Amino acid sequence: MPATEAALGFAPRRAATGEELDLAMQSLWLAGRILPVGAHLVVRHTFRSQEQKPVEVIYSFALPRDAALRRFRVSGEGFSVRSELKPVGEAVRAYEEGLEEGHLATLARTYRDGIVNLTLGNLRPGETVTVLLEILCGVELHDDGLRFRFPFTLAPSYHARARVGEAAPGVGEIELPEDEFGDVILPRWAADASGLHAIGFRLTVEAGAELASVGSPSHAVDVRLENGRRGSVMLARERDVPNRDLVLDVRTREAWSGVLAGLCRQGKGHFAVVIPSPRFGARSEEPRSVVFVLDRSGSMSGAPIAQALKACEACLAALTPGDRFGLIAFDDQVEAFRSHLVECSRENRDGAREFLASVDARGGTELAAGLEAAANMLRGVGGDILLLTDGEVFGTESIIARACAAGIRIHCLGIGSASQDRFLALLARETGGVSRFLTPRERVDRGALELFAAVGRPVARDVTVETDGLPGARIEPEPARQVFSGTPLVIFGRTRGAVRGTLRVGWVNSGERRAMEIPVEIGSDKLGETLRLIRGARLISDWESRTEEPPQGGALDRRRQRRIQERLRRLSETYGLASREMALVAVVERPGDQPGELPKTTVVPVGMPEDVEFDSYFEEQAICFRAQAICERPIGFPSLSAEEAEFLRRFRSRAFQPECRFIDTAREVSLNEMEARVVRRVELALAIEPDGGMPGADDEERALASLLALLCFLAEGSTESSGPYRFHVRRLVSFLENVSLDERQRRIADGVIELARRGGRLPGNWWDLLKQGPSPECWDRIAEGLAKEGERLGDLP
Amino acid sequence: MTELTLAELAEQTGVPERTIRYYIARGLLPPPLRAGRAACYGPEHRQALERIRRLQAKGLTLAEIARRLAGEAPRDGLPKPSPWWSYPVAEDVVVWVRADAAPWRLKQVREALLDLAARLRTNQQEDENDLDAGD
Repeated sequence: MPATEAALGFAPRRAATGEELDLAMQSLWLAGRILPVGAHLVVRHTFRSQEQKPVEVIYSFALPRDAALRRFRVSGEGFSVRSELKPVGEAVRAYEEGLEEGHLATLARTYRDGIVNLTLGNLRPGETVTVLLEILCGVELHDDGLRFRFPFTLAPSYHARARVGEAAPGVGEIELPEDEFGDVILPRWAADASGLHAIGFRLTVEAGAELASVGSPSHAVDVRLENGRRGSVMLARERDVPNRDLVLDVRTREAWSGVLAGLCRQGKGHFAVVIPSPRFGARSEEPRSVVFVLDRSGSMSGAPIAQALKACEACLAALTPGDRFGLIAFDDQVEAFRSHLVECSRENRDGAREFLASVDARGGTELAAGLEAAANMLRGVGGDILLLTDGEVFGTESIIARACAAGIRIHCLGIGSASQDRFLALLARETGGVSRFLTPRERVDRGALELFAAVGRPVARDVTVETDGLPGARIEPEPARQVFSGTPLVIFGRTRGAVRGTLRVGWVNSGERRAMEIPVEIGSDKLGETLRLIRGARLISDWESRTEEPPQGGALDRRRQRRIQERLRRLSETYGLASREMALVAVVERPGDQPGELPKTTVVPVGMPEDVEFDSYFEEQAICFRAQAICERPIGFPSLSAEEAEFLRRFRSRAFQPECRFIDTAREVSLNEMEARVVRRVELALAIEPDGGMPGADDEERALASLLALLCFLAEGSTESSGPYRFHVRRLVSFLENVSLDERQRRIADGVIELARRGGRLPGNWWDLLKQGPSPECWDRIAEGLAKEGERLGDLP
Repeated sequence: MTELTLAELAEQTGVPERTIRYYIARGLLPPPLRAGRAACYGPEHRQALERIRRLQAKGLTLAEIARRLAGEAPRDGLPKPSPWWSYPVAEDVVVWVRADAAPWRLKQVREALLDLAARLRTNQQEDENDLDAGD
């Protein structure tokens, strides 16, 4: 008998119970190269069977944003075979025939929502096989860097017709209706991820401009800068567990504008042009109409809903007079603060805060209904939707289709450790908006305000792109029609070969038509092949988001769907990338293959995302949705097995426990204190009256309170032009400039205003002074502070 | 007596081969009639697949179906409680709705109840009007 790892006692065990685990997939290792316009990844899956008979292993994972599978190589003892790209039907047939003959067969097939099933059939007892899978994907590009996200787990998501339950204690299962989703198999979700397959990564990052920092809010990472513009990132620990997405945050010293270009293998030219938003001009300050759509479904319960509420409050506080807003919260019901848009008055903002205070997380995620209610509010008026959600829904293509039909821009703020980045990026882009996402360990108010600042006020409208002197040039996919501050414009295109020419970009800013010219030169750089693939993956995911299955409605819809499928097939063939219509398959004939033996089919489990409560999906009375799709009996009792009951007892009060701590003046500050500070800032921001000043009995008291509030924001690092609270700083400054004061007070106020302009700060406990109620001595305290700061700087008034 | 290959069974029932293997591995379907190359499937497999589809349409998960197929007997002792909403749709009418039904079902029920409540209100209004008129 062979000395197996199990026999030697090295087999993986579940940490909580010590129970031995039989892992068909042992590890997942991610490597690759991240560019400003996308990434080229290779994922190594190592499979090993400890079963007594052959197995068929299904690993189910979610694609990152704008992603497509390119190919895989399956290797084992004495073989290494590359996949072939075939229409889905043929690929499945090839896989089944290979399996029937007893060969090692591997199939990678993409389903709805960008879910991939990697199926490996006839893995023999004791055999080790690796699958190296190449993936092309997009990144979230900002003016000052980028965010990269890779799903190591798949978030359990909501669908009204999904069947949900626990297969075993602590192991959840979701089954999707076959008529809509085909034979996709979802992973099993383990409440305890400690015994699951190991994950690790090593990635190189090239950001164009000089790198300021590379870090990860999700994982402990080791970063090495190879030169100013290139770095490598790897997992700092030996191994980690699949219970959250990998998020990399790359910041550059300055906004990068540039052209990436090169030739592909067929000798065609490919380019990507990045133009940061400040190049398009200033943002207008015209009033806007915004409807906040807040996801309060059960999957948001715990940390995510708390984050979303805080983000919402921070944004409400940043509204300016003249702005109008709406506020909608949805689960499987839609509730609105008011049925129509309201003015941004103090009264309405207080009402909205009260409404938010009553929001807690509960039912299913009927995202489409929430968006529809918001679109109705904006109908005839125009405006933008700001959606705050974890995006954890299945059947996202239908939601995107309905959102596009409503014709309203949607901006998305994704929240959570495994938010559906791919879906939210598509939803925003297809409706003409922008998206950002936050992880549970980040300050939510900063991200929300950054995004909110851009909403409703594009720096460029009606963007047009023309080419000049680039033979055979084609701009594809169609560039965004609007540009929002913070997010650069990216233009992809191709040419006949190594040529040079110009791109002419035109746009409207503040009612004025403007234009710029960008020289493009295609050299012989090998980057061209990568650019070609990244562009192909982007085109494929755009078209995938437009397919629906089965086509709803009449013959016209069905014809349209057939055209989309045809288009996807052509894109797959042209770019050599898999899609919903084309799958990857490899069959390996090994010596001694026995035909006809039926392998045992197993599904690889993944961990519950760390901030999603297991109970919210898989508990008997789950707050997200119930297993039972239809009540069979009008009166009856749900059946609950003994294991299920035991499971309920064990997992009832599992809550998200943040690990990270912040060190502050030699004293440990817990996340809760950190949160308290966020709340404090948000409270302060909310208190600002529509005219920009703080409330108070008379002008003098208001001015003093406003000065103290301004000093609080400055102490926090915001200035007139930067920081998450720059809008609040600006409003306080404009109030202070116009309020009537005596000569001394005016001098003090002007000193603080000057400080705000320069981004300075005064040491002092301004928050406490403000809280105690501003007293006339505060003027002296500020004057003292200014005098000291003036000595240092020399020239304060 | 017809014997089918896995591919034929898949084609006739519309259930893909991989799914059939998955069901066998989970004990929802009996293993094939013979081992090795001569493996084949009979009418009992077809019937079992149809039964699984029926139960799935009722909202049962595969784990629940497996338990049911295994003929798990109803347990002794106190039955498990189930939550119900009570909607007082009129002063003299209360409707009970199972709280753990699927959201789309609850939505349907809520809409029907809104209708019902509205109808009962108009009836009541008319009655009161009649009474007023009768005075």
